[in-house]
Amino acid sequence: MLAACAEIILVGMAIIAPSQGVDRAADTLIAERAHDILVSRCLRCHGGVREQAGLNLAWRDRALQTRPKGPPAIIPGNAAASALLMRVLHDDPELRMPAEAPALSADEVATLRAWVDAGAVYPVLWSLRPIEEQMPAAGPELLWNTHGIDRAVSLRLASAGIPLPPEAAPESLVRRAALDITGLPPDPALVSAYVADPSPAQWDHTVDALLASPAFGERWARIWLDLARYADTKGYEKDARRDVWRFRDWLIDAWNSDMPYDQFTERVLAGDLLPGATENDRIATTFHRLTLTNDEGGTDNEEFRVAAVMDRSVTTWLAWMGTSMQCVQCHAHPYDTIDHRDYYAALAFFNQTADADRDDDSPLLHVAWERGTTTVPVMQELPVSAQRETHVFTRGNWRALGDVVAPSTPACFPPHGARRSDRLGLAKWIMDPANPRAARVEANRIWETIFGRGLVETLEDFGEAGARPSDVTLLDFVASRLQKLGWSRKALIGEIIKSRTYRMSAQPSDAALRIDPDNRMMSRAPRFRLEAEAIRDQSLAVAGILDRSMHGPPVFPHQPDGTWMVVYSGDGWTTSEGGDRYRRAIYTFWRRSSPHPSLMNFDAVSRETCTVRRIRTNTPLAALAAMNDPTFVEAAAAFAQRAIDATPGASDTERARWMLSAALVRTPRHEECARLAQLAAGERAVGTATAQPSSEISVWSAVAATIMNLDEFLSRT
Amino acid sequence: MVATPAEYMAELQAMTRRQFLGNSAWGIGGIALAAMLGSEKSAHANPVSLPPAGSVVDPLMVRAPHFAARAKRVIFIHLAGAPSQHELFDWKPALVRHNGQPCPDELLKGEHFAFIKGHPTLLGTPYKFARYGRSGQELSELIPHLASVADDLCIVKSCTTDQFNHAPAQLLLHTGDARFGGASMGSWLTYGLGSEASELPGFVVLVSGDKTPDAGKSVWGSGFLPGAFQGVQCRASGDPVLYVKNPDGVDRAGRRRMLDALQDLNSMAAASAADPETDARIAQYELAFRMQASVPDAMDISHEDAATLEAYGATPGKASFANNCLLARRLSERGVRFVQLFDWGWDAHGTSATDDILTQLPKKCKESDRPVAALINDLRQRGLLDETLIVWGGEFGRTPMAEFRDGKKDFFGRDHHPHCFTVLLAGGGCNAGTTYGETDELGCRVVRDPVPVKDLQATILHLLGLDHRRLAYRHAGLDRHLTGVTPDARIHAGLIA
Repeated sequence: MLAACAEIILVGMAIIAPSQGVDRAADTLIAERAHDILVSRCLRCHGGVREQAGLNLAWRDRALQTRPKGPPAIIPGNAAASALLMRVLHDDPELRMPAEAPALSADEVATLRAWVDAGAVYPVLWSLRPIEEQMPAAGPELLWNTHGIDRAVSLRLASAGIPLPPEAAPESLVRRAALDITGLPPDPALVSAYVADPSPAQWDHTVDALLASPAFGERWARIWLDLARYADTKGYEKDARRDVWRFRDWLIDAWNSDMPYDQFTERVLAGDLLPGATENDRIATTFHRLTLTNDEGGTDNEEFRVAAVMDRSVTTWLAWMGTSMQCVQCHAHPYDTIDHRDYYAALAFFNQTADADRDDDSPLLHVAWERGTTTVPVMQELPVSAQRETHVFTRGNWRALGDVVAPSTPACFPPHGARRSDRLGLAKWIMDPANPRAARVEANRIWETIFGRGLVETLEDFGEAGARPSDVTLLDFVASRLQKLGWSRKALIGEIIKSRTYRMSAQPSDAALRIDPDNRMMSRAPRFRLEAEAIRDQSLAVAGILDRSMHGPPVFPHQPDGTWMVVYSGDGWTTSEGGDRYRRAIYTFWRRSSPHPSLMNFDAVSRETCTVRRIRTNTPLAALAAMNDPTFVEAAAAFAQRAIDATPGASDTERARWMLSAALVRTPRHEECARLAQLAAGERAVGTATAQPSSEISVWSAVAATIMNLDEFLSRT
Repeated sequence: MVATPAEYMAELQAMTRRQFLGNSAWGIGGIALAAMLGSEKSAHANPVSLPPAGSVVDPLMVRAPHFAARAKRVIFIHLAGAPSQHELFDWKPALVRHNGQPCPDELLKGEHFAFIKGHPTLLGTPYKFARYGRSGQELSELIPHLASVADDLCIVKSCTTDQFNHAPAQLLLHTGDARFGGASMGSWLTYGLGSEASELPGFVVLVSGDKTPDAGKSVWGSGFLPGAFQGVQCRASGDPVLYVKNPDGVDRAGRRRMLDALQDLNSMAAASAADPETDARIAQYELAFRMQASVPDAMDISHEDAATLEAYGATPGKASFANNCLLARRLSERGVRFVQLFDWGWDAHGTSATDDILTQLPKKCKESDRPVAALINDLRQRGLLDETLIVWGGEFGRTPMAEFRDGKKDFFGRDHHPHCFTVLLAGGGCNAGTTYGETDELGCRVVRDPVPVKDLQATILHLLGLDHRRLAYRHAGLDRHLTGVTPDARIHAGLIA
């Protein structure tokens, strides 16, 4: 603990650069504001997609170009002569820009004018600037000044006039950390140890114990399974099975062994190209073999090979760089300075693998395991003699071949330089410290996983049209920590969770509700519904029936009959026997065309494409699943039995207290226990009235189901 | 050539409204249509604004359309696998005359087929066509009941797609994108308009033929839109909606007791946590409880009178396309915004008696002809036809050539054909009693008024009062639309009454 803090302070003191974030020159601010106006009001029509009237304002050189009619849109230093200003100020509503939209405000026009007169310098997008590796400035409260995150958060709260929040109750903190780190409720021993000694040292010990649990990898791998569009089937019409679970296990193990993010990236993108590549290095490349394969009769394998290659490139840019490339398949990026040609140059890194949408999914790697051998589709580079040319596709059509392009990265990013022009070269370029995106994107993803919302809310878009960071100093601090920690994501998660910011109470103060209603300043601990997997896993764990076995082929927990109606295949769902029915959700068989419906009701994604962010919704279908899905019904009954066994001879109120405490990991209030006791009594009375005495198990199952549907139980608080 | 500022301004002044707008994104067609409909300009300019994440507002609350709508809801009947337009709608005497002859070379130039190999032969339809109704619409003997409502149909013979495999073509038709990840039409409509069915899902899917579509559940997925807008599959057997039934041993009163306790405890927590999300959760549990009664009620056709059951050919308790048509009416009556029917079994390649045009296609027509006609009549009798748009069609068309897979000529069928296919519209402000578009004399290519899939989508949205360019959702740095990122989809005035 002390060592970690000292290191953070040293980092802060070692960098004595002026804070550009605070003292940015006035003309830079005007340039940023002017550019924001272009992005929000102009680029929709005069950007990379439409280029209305042949004008693209996304690129400075294109905005300055000579035009067939009239002056250039922008003449640096001469706003009065620039078509941009003339058109936004035009008297005739038919000619005034933006077309068919409200006019710019006087203030916006003044900004554009000042910016053009000052030379119309396009600002460098915030996410492309070097990461500012500095300790955030200290706030007014000494206790909040040790940890960089706490400094940034407390300074912001103090300057907004929001009192620093108190710490959450110790037992609630342990539940919060256990769910965030492991996706499971905490071991009672861990709770009681921290409640007995809620000291900073004991907190650090608690966090470290959770990070050491194998459940950590199972929880954090889920995020990368969404990014990897991981499924146990191939997709499209037949959606036949595919053995790829070894990759899922590799991913879990990579998190548990804390594989540094740079090594992780090299293995996932190009493990096969590493010198002396091991079996595990090759299994890691299954990441990009999880693209869809179309076995439908009559399909052109080259068409779907190309589709898979495009998906690999798009997924890589989305997952690692926070850049949406998909749109650039057909035209230049609408908002960012990424050209049509750049898409194909980026894709060229991925165009030299031997796979080709074959029904057998080759090339395959044969991997031995306890119960025999499994074959995993992997990436394999074509021999030099057989390598392909990569062409630009005119308007994105794979049959309309344009120029040949060589592998390279878009010019708005740091140059690819003399690196190898293959996947390994791309991986090394992504992870180069000179590329500020990789650390920002991954640090932001970790932040979002813990706090429910990223410092950049649009995890999928760090470009011009994406959200701006709520606190760029804080984001850069966290991103630079990830780099400084040798790309150890586990260490960064530990640092975040050891902060006071993390330990805040979720209870908002009046000032917090008034000044920061959406909690963008972190004026209280975020409270949000758990993800699909955690909802299932927590219920099984609290019921005492969760099977903690790790790894192996996917399992088939209960699913309603008739859910799979599969075209051209007799494949059916056979519910697993024994412990496999109660494994963690991450091991559930995932059929793309028909994913497990209960998990889907809690916003799991079908994994046909890379998903960066699940959008939480609150629907009656989720309520129906939580009340009536046989898995949850079974969990409620098991929890009831557990309670009966644990509290022999207890009063209804006492038993309800035990159950609430076991499920919610806090001291129940008396009125809560009393209300549940009333429910139990009511259930018993109904049984008596109908002359069919209710069994105690059915009485307490009703109580258990009630607890397991509580908003608090379903939420991270 | 750069003009001086003064010259440039003068030139701008001289431009007429017509010239200027003619060069703009709207194009001439758009202006003409706007002038004709007279409603576009008065519409408000904002796309749908959704409540922020975590807000307590119901995502399905009713929202006003962009302009006056012709239809309030859609019933989209998808014949999965793609029915043959040659056997049903697009009568080509020349094709019959040339039956069995080699296909002209010019029709094969640059063509890619899913299955046809070598030089195929033309296949004329074996079925008779006649004109029906006051409108004199030309239809095949395979669909006598649809013929009886010919005056209600707008027959679009000139639909085109750019996909010739089932899964991508179905995705394109429903989500506007042949790749996975897009939002389906029902999701877009419930996102744009919400739903008037307060105790039912706003977007309901009914599947018959024992198979889901080739592209899986993505054809009713919400894609990048929030999950609250995805289609909810209702089923004829088992739970009508997954998990809607209480577990064994819990009756409705028992569920109510549990919910009362749940809500009391939630309220105690809400009072202390001050989290609006808790209130939203309480509301959704109450809605779930109401759905437990309203969904089985809506899905139960056993109380329909005998004449109605007879008209549809529906049988209570059975899973069938006929039942689904009747259910579509019941759901529409209850305000469901988008009912999507999928019926499997239309992929008539002619490799056996189970996928040919002499046995399988008549069988499928017999199953579907009567219920669709009954649905149109039933909606009309209940005064719902004017405000309910019915769309009927497959994901592409079928070749004018016989397939004869692997050279075997025992059965007759046709391969996938993206260049033309027929879609029917009925009700909902469509131009009933007309045929739109035309194909060449062999029924191979469109020669008049082509309607690419995105145009069909734009026109459907238009009938629902939505401007397809304004119905947008910002995702991954892009403004996504059902009709794609480029603004070239066209609304076809000829499809609108």
